[in-house]
Amino acid sequence: MGKDLWKLAGIRPVMVITAALTIVQTIVIVMQSVWLAQAVSGLFSGDTIQSQLGHIGGFGCALIARQLLSMLLQKLAYDFAERTGQQLRRALIDKLFALGPRYAMGQGTGNLVTLVREGIGKYRTYLELILPRMLSNGLTPLLIGLYVLRLDWLSAIILGLVFPILIAFMILLGLAAQKQMDRQWATYRVLSNHFVDSLRGLETLRFLGRSRAHAATIGRTSEQYRKATIGSMRVAFLSSFALDFFTMLSVAFVAVSLGLRLVHGEMLLEPALTILILAPEFFVPIRSLGADYHATMDGKEAGEEIQRIMQQPIPGQSLEHPITCSESTAIVRDASSGATLWNETSTLVIQDVSIHYGQDSDMSLTEATNRSDPSISANKAHLYEQHLPQQAVQATHQSATTIQSGTLAVLKDQYTALSNVSFTWQGYGKIGIIGASGAGKSTLIDLLAGFLIPDAGTASWHPTQGYGGALHHTSWRTGAAYIPQHPYLFSGTLRDNIALYEPQATDEEVLEAMQRAGLGKLLQSLPQGLDEQVGEGGRMLSGGQEQRVALARALLGQRHVLLLDEPTAHLDIETEYELKQTMLPLFANKLVLLATHRLHWMTDMDWIIVMDQGRIVEQGTHAGLLQQGGLYCSWMNEQWEGSA
Amino acid sequence: MSRGGWIIPYIKQNSLRFAGIIALAALTLLCASMLTFTSGYLISKASLRPENILMLYVPIVGVRTFGIARSVLRYVERLLAHSAVLRVLSAMRVRLYNQLEPHALRLRGQYRTGDLLGVMSDDLESLQNVYVRTIFPAIAALIVYGVLIGLLGWFDPVFAGIIALYVLVLVAVVPFGSLYISRKWQQQLKQKQAKLYSQLTDSVMGLGDLLISGRQHEFAERYAEQERDAAQYERKLSRHKRYTALVLQTVVGLIVTQTAVWATGQVADRSMEATLLAACVLVMLPLTEAFLPMTDAIQRIPSYGESVARLDKLNDEWNEGSAMPAMRSDSVASPSAIGAIQQVQSIASISARSTSSIQMQQVQYTYPGQHEPALRNLNLTIEQGKKIAIIGPSGAGKSTLLKLIQGAYEPASGQVLLHGKPVAQWAQDIHRFIAVLNQKPYLFDTTLLNNVRLSRPEATAEEVQQAMQAAKLSKLIAALPLGYNTPMQEAGRRFSGGERQRIALARVLLQQTPIVILDEPTVGLDSTTERELLDTILGSLGDKTMIWVTHRLVRAEQMDEIVFIDEGEIIIHGSHQQLYATSERYRQLYRMDHPMMADRVEQEERYVVHA
Repeated sequence: MGKDLWKLAGIRPVMVITAALTIVQTIVIVMQSVWLAQAVSGLFSGDTIQSQLGHIGGFGCALIARQLLSMLLQKLAYDFAERTGQQLRRALIDKLFALGPRYAMGQGTGNLVTLVREGIGKYRTYLELILPRMLSNGLTPLLIGLYVLRLDWLSAIILGLVFPILIAFMILLGLAAQKQMDRQWATYRVLSNHFVDSLRGLETLRFLGRSRAHAATIGRTSEQYRKATIGSMRVAFLSSFALDFFTMLSVAFVAVSLGLRLVHGEMLLEPALTILILAPEFFVPIRSLGADYHATMDGKEAGEEIQRIMQQPIPGQSLEHPITCSESTAIVRDASSGATLWNETSTLVIQDVSIHYGQDSDMSLTEATNRSDPSISANKAHLYEQHLPQQAVQATHQSATTIQSGTLAVLKDQYTALSNVSFTWQGYGKIGIIGASGAGKSTLIDLLAGFLIPDAGTASWHPTQGYGGALHHTSWRTGAAYIPQHPYLFSGTLRDNIALYEPQATDEEVLEAMQRAGLGKLLQSLPQGLDEQVGEGGRMLSGGQEQRVALARALLGQRHVLLLDEPTAHLDIETEYELKQTMLPLFANKLVLLATHRLHWMTDMDWIIVMDQGRIVEQGTHAGLLQQGGLYCSWMNEQWEGSA
Repeated sequence: MSRGGWIIPYIKQNSLRFAGIIALAALTLLCASMLTFTSGYLISKASLRPENILMLYVPIVGVRTFGIARSVLRYVERLLAHSAVLRVLSAMRVRLYNQLEPHALRLRGQYRTGDLLGVMSDDLESLQNVYVRTIFPAIAALIVYGVLIGLLGWFDPVFAGIIALYVLVLVAVVPFGSLYISRKWQQQLKQKQAKLYSQLTDSVMGLGDLLISGRQHEFAERYAEQERDAAQYERKLSRHKRYTALVLQTVVGLIVTQTAVWATGQVADRSMEATLLAACVLVMLPLTEAFLPMTDAIQRIPSYGESVARLDKLNDEWNEGSAMPAMRSDSVASPSAIGAIQQVQSIASISARSTSSIQMQQVQYTYPGQHEPALRNLNLTIEQGKKIAIIGPSGAGKSTLLKLIQGAYEPASGQVLLHGKPVAQWAQDIHRFIAVLNQKPYLFDTTLLNNVRLSRPEATAEEVQQAMQAAKLSKLIAALPLGYNTPMQEAGRRFSGGERQRIALARVLLQQTPIVILDEPTVGLDSTTERELLDTILGSLGDKTMIWVTHRLVRAEQMDEIVFIDEGEIIIHGSHQQLYATSERYRQLYRMDHPMMADRVEQEERYVVHA
């Protein structure tokens, strides 16, 4: 099937062994049928049971041997799939780290986690199924067909003819089902989402006074959904019907034709019985392929999705300092010894930087959100299609991809997040980055944090002497602290969270950092103190407290560069005020880059960068910019207007 | 509230339909067996070379009929089964919705609502497997079991007993034994997977922090190790599955051999025709196939239990605090209270859209299970047409205050009066008085127009138009190719935060209530959008009462009153001018939102000093 399969490490020996075992298994199946037929026909002609014990025993042994072989085949496939899955999962995680947080956010955390956990699981199932199925479909019917041909050419022809007819019908019916799915796609999606949509909007329905009456709507919509689903199932199930019908019919034809020739004495009982027993075996592989169809399709799709991520270009790989494992540890050591820290004479240089968002970052966000809907329906189809060929599922999947590629086409145009941004700074200082949402502030902070690589221009830093490296380089990253709007708290103790940059820090050091970040009051209110569990499943901290934890992290890690992205935009004004009072003194003797749309920060900044539509439109001091009377000045006046 | 299980009542409701489906499933299985049986018979009979070919006519027709009937029956059975199960799904959805509806106002904030509701919906869907994967195939297999043993018993009770025991191994011993053995592995695997899941979520969410900390490899290593730990259980389960299949097949082999021996004996005794020998032996293969799905059917039982437990647990949790007035809406629905409802409704229909005041007297409220009251001794009167801003740090009690006004909670002591009556008495009619615009208004997956109309489906086109105009949506709508009929979630198109708020505002305006609650509608918007939206809101509300919970002081000067809440109490209360003149704290905060003012004030101060 997929050519990509051949590229997997260690697949060739597995294929060869599987092929060999499949051939042996087919021989065993034939032997099993022959011995059973011999025993039955012997007994029929009046032999004693004792004289047929050999055949009966042979049949029993073959039956068990067949089962043992199939166990062996399964184990072989399982082990291979497990090994490949583990390697792939590890590679995928490394890749995600290399791609950085912006990519992860663009894809949606939920989607990525599902892909790493369930996606790889599905891909593993696919590998586990596809290897034995591929080979048994290629080999078993052929070998059985040849054996039947040796016994009776007419039966072999009946079986041989049904096979292509069967496949042709399944394809035709699959296409019909897909056509119907495509036609009903939009309705189907709305109907299938309606229930969750209603639950999520329950509060709003209540506000509007419509929640009571809505129960009837749910019942009605579910009923419509049932009718629509059954409508498409009528067509979708036809393909498994065809599979059933033709296999059954061909077995019946073989039986009747054998019977007629037996009557005319053109045939003996024993070969006739053998063929009769073998006929269903002839169709077993294709039927099991049908039964596993949805699992196979799911896994194949998951595999493609994983490959899509694995093939994303890693930021900075083509540049002079690829990020490697050994290097990052080396730099961490450097950083703790203080060798590569930012100081008064260091220089930050951003020169003519442009960043475009193409299909790998922002767009995939939209793609990911769209994806969620079709996948719901795909799962649903999966639920309904349980036993045999799954054309409906295929149809669903394909329509899902059609919609996505539609989105892709619309959004393929790149959009420029930063264009020709230049900026230089030496030593410590507080730099405000201001602009409306979508102006490029966050992109600039991500560039400064080394999460983004410029598509054009350079972003680098220079310690006192020489060249420190590009900003995506670990030497810069491990000297900086990044404080986003919602700093993430890992599930663990408060101590672990604060000591994120400095896992070896002592309790005293942690406590001191907490005091300075204004967390003293919180600490007192915690029954477990530093050992309190925070993050998912632990104590919830408020937005202001999260910011303070991030500050404490930075203080403890002695990071001299602070990158803040909207640190207070979501806080209520009192919390914002208090946090600002804590933060300002801590900004001394650091390089602080603070992106926000909250103008009040600007009066405390040494330098202000005004962004609009991805460009730096103005820069200067607060007073200087006010005098210029540009965009910054008009924003400031706008706020003034309101007050009376 | 009627509870009942999530499975049994539906079986009762659909008993006839389900019986029909199971009968079809059993017939399908029997047809497949009969196909083999008649084929075996046909060949044996034919090999005796009967004089008259007509002797074979019946088996030939039988073979064809059974072959065709099997596939047709199966097709029909699958369609009917899915249709019936979807019917059950509809009923379960309506039921779940009706159980959640009384708690509508308290859902948010208790859990991560989106996740939770998704999980519940998934649970309902997975309960469909109870029927399709467990009940139908299991009962059909048992019927085949009964038919088989009955027929054999007619020939030879002793042999029937032996086969009954063998099949018992297939339908009960192996399935339940396998469940017993694998259950703990399944549980352990599930736990480990849940842990892996949350750990991975953690690190993807905190990817940036991990990268900056330089500890990403440490994490990846630790994660891989735990994966290997979990994989060991998966391996155990997979091995277990293979061995189970081996045991099942061995039993099948034994059944076939045993039948051969028995049939030979029968033929030798002349108690069975020789032509039936092959048929009897061969039929055992398709027959036993009917019993093999039992293992899978039984294996699934624990997961149904989990889904049901989750649905019931949430239900119980919501019903625990039955002192909460949300339950009142249920009790109101009881026949004894219908008179009261009608009375209330008649009052409401007269008074809605006119005027209404709110009085909170000595209100105290404590959340269940907490010691400190969330609100204490709160007195607040809001006259019709007043514009009030409520401000305070998170956790101060702002949301509790709103919930009390909406009647979602009932005060522990004191009273909340709306239009002269305790709010709880208005029950579901509260929407005639109060409209709400919150932080993330929910827009349904339908067209823009439908979303707006939702608040008053009987509104005229003109009224809708007016509401949209007042919300300043006209320009946005004109720019959309489909105009009003633009779906909210058309592929790729998303409305921005400000636009979504305007759509919700139009909906709120169309609701035509005397009171509008604004629950931080501008969070997450940038300053310019925030200002524009607030101006639109203030301009469109006219003489409606406005209760605005905010975390900013932008446009505070346009409010009649500003109420500061901290730790459940009103600490500052007055107009902007009063507060600005008297409170240093207020001045400091106000300057945060008006930095230029601070600048100018400083300049002025400096002038004063220089002078």
